[in-house]
Amino acid sequence: MPATITLTNVADAREAYRSPDLRQGLYDAGEVVMADVLVNLHGDEHKRRRRIENRLFRRDTFDYYENELFPEVIEATLAPYAQQGRAELVHVGHELMLNLAALTAGVDRALGTPEESARLHDYMMFFIEGATLAHSTLDRAERIAAIGEQLAKWDAEFLQPSMNRRRSLLAQLDAGEIDEAEVPRDVLTTLLRNYDVLGLRPDIVQREVAFMLLAGAHTSATAFVRTIDAILGWIAAHPDDAERIRTDRQFVQRCVHETVRLNPSSPTGVRRALAPVTLKSGVHIDEGDMVIIDLVAVNTDPALFGAEAAQFNPYREVPSGIGPFGLSFASGAHVCIGQDLAVGVVPSADEQGHHLAGLVSVAVHWAFDHNVRHDPAATAEPDKTTRRPYWSSYPVLLDL
Amino acid sequence: MTYRVELDKDVCISSGKCVADAPHFFRFDADELSEVVADPPELPDTQLEAIARGCPSGAITLFAGDTPVSID
Repeated sequence: MPATITLTNVADAREAYRSPDLRQGLYDAGEVVMADVLVNLHGDEHKRRRRIENRLFRRDTFDYYENELFPEVIEATLAPYAQQGRAELVHVGHELMLNLAALTAGVDRALGTPEESARLHDYMMFFIEGATLAHSTLDRAERIAAIGEQLAKWDAEFLQPSMNRRRSLLAQLDAGEIDEAEVPRDVLTTLLRNYDVLGLRPDIVQREVAFMLLAGAHTSATAFVRTIDAILGWIAAHPDDAERIRTDRQFVQRCVHETVRLNPSSPTGVRRALAPVTLKSGVHIDEGDMVIIDLVAVNTDPALFGAEAAQFNPYREVPSGIGPFGLSFASGAHVCIGQDLAVGVVPSADEQGHHLAGLVSVAVHWAFDHNVRHDPAATAEPDKTTRRPYWSSYPVLLDL
Repeated sequence: MTYRVELDKDVCISSGKCVADAPHFFRFDADELSEVVADPPELPDTQLEAIARGCPSGAITLFAGDTPVSID
């Protein structure tokens, strides 16, 4: 009978993440969306696809997103809420991050209407549910059927037209009718260009693009809401920092890192052993065993993060070699491909070029620049459909 | 002490983090895999350790003389 082995310290966790004999196991229940997607691949198959997709996820691209593209997307998405003076942050965060994730994934919105965006948002929420089915409190078989149905509808309404447009552009490029600059730089285009090399199938492309959409939007949207909640709590106790939140983006970034450390997108990493593994610490894992990486324990280890490791403190200093967000983005070849995009680069004396604060920091900074605060007429509600610590609604007030 | 740097292209997943961190020391080859430039500049050991640690695939190994340096 396979055993379940739980790892709770950073050294064991890092070694497990880097072991070629331990493969991804977090999404076994979410195959309806996650089968054959990048994070679920292993070994050479993972390396081949990751090498190609990594070309889209480098710092020069992120610099363009953060400093040129994203400020416009933020303004277009959030300004209407500032004008209304109120917002529900869970919805707003997903709407905002979806607008960027759609560009990264390569999902067109041909009509450009709010109704079309709302439909894409609704599809994405199904995909998020699919990816996190392991933690669902609902009837799993019923939800898999419902999510599969939505995936097919999304494919027909959004993916096929997006694919047709890209195929047409690639044909024009091959014919010398357009320049490379006129071809989108997104995941869907990359998959179409490398379709045969990567041994893809239509259903794999479908799930990979759906995954990029949900991963790009959901993790960042969740961090956006949680960081605002954490900062509101912090400045209630430390009112002198309220001004700093509005004026110092790197301080906001520290708040994001601290929030992500305390609230990893998934509270556990999961690996399945393909062969026996013995970690340097002596922990032995037999073939077939399940390895649970307890990210909450790893990220609140007092030996690394201090005696009050479980508390939010943006002034926290961490030892050299330890990320301020712990192992929330995993480690090794499966480290989150969008990590630098979401939370930026940890500032260092050797840093070259613009500092990347990350899209979550930029969005949180915007909210505090518009005096985000609790709505006294409505309270935030936890999401009871999942064991993950999500909000289902988080009402706030904003100023212009 | 200045470390010697070896980069295993078979392991590299083309994240480009080393090239972004030290563009005068690392570059992409024709397959967009990272490599050390010919005649690289000297970098502080602490910076090289951070770059090696930041490589997601563990493709970068540092050597002090002939001895691999642990970056865990």
